Amino acid sequence: MKPLLALLVCAVPTALAASPEALETPALGNLWADLLILVGCVFLLTAAIGMARFPDFYTRLHASSKLVTLGGVGFFGGAAIAFAPLGITQRILLIAAFFLLTAPLSGYMIARAGYLRGLPFYREADTVDEWGAHGAAVPKSEVPDAEKEALS
Amino acid sequence: MVLTVAMLCVLTSVALTLYRALRGPSWGDRIAAIDFLNTNAAVLIVLVALKTGRPALLDAALVVAILGFLGTVALARYLLGGRVME
Repeated sequence: MKPLLALLVCAVPTALAASPEALETPALGNLWADLLILVGCVFLLTAAIGMARFPDFYTRLHASSKLVTLGGVGFFGGAAIAFAPLGITQRILLIAAFFLLTAPLSGYMIARAGYLRGLPFYREADTVDEWGAHGAAVPKSEVPDAEKEALS
Repeated sequence: MVLTVAMLCVLTSVALTLYRALRGPSWGDRIAAIDFLNTNAAVLIVLVALKTGRPALLDAALVVAILGFLGTVALARYLLGGRVME
């Protein structure tokens, strides 16, 4: 019994070390890369939970666009550090910069389209619509009843 | 290990966002969910590149990010003005 256990204890790490995954990833094991990727995971999961549970379109968009900006930069920064020995850090930092620029922009454009097309928002007693252009861009050809059916 | 945990996080996020994209009460929710799914795809490609040690996959992540952004902007412009290109 004891030799069998010893064989198992010796064989399992050897088999794990000999698996192709362990051989093909020399870049990992960096503590800062792991930390950045985990931070990105936290932001991404928070954004997904907000996406599933917030009450209206604008709050969901707020969760996804803002948190994903930081989370994606965490992921890409972690990849940049992990791939640093291969000398391709600039390419990953280019992706991160592009992401940092475009994620808030796309969120802004969706929110503007939704507001001007009159998507309903969650109201409380002291909610103030300062712009006052809610639903200003709805085309005249669209029947309001069809819009209500599409929204419900 | 960290990569496996990260992939599970991204897959959970994909599942929650798919729920929102399928159920979403309005079209805006669906557009936001699909934009977020594009982000998830780019992040997942980066994680696969790290896991397999193939840096060529990062170009695929860049292309997915660019195409997702262009698609979102095109949808928003179409919904506002009806014209995608000037």
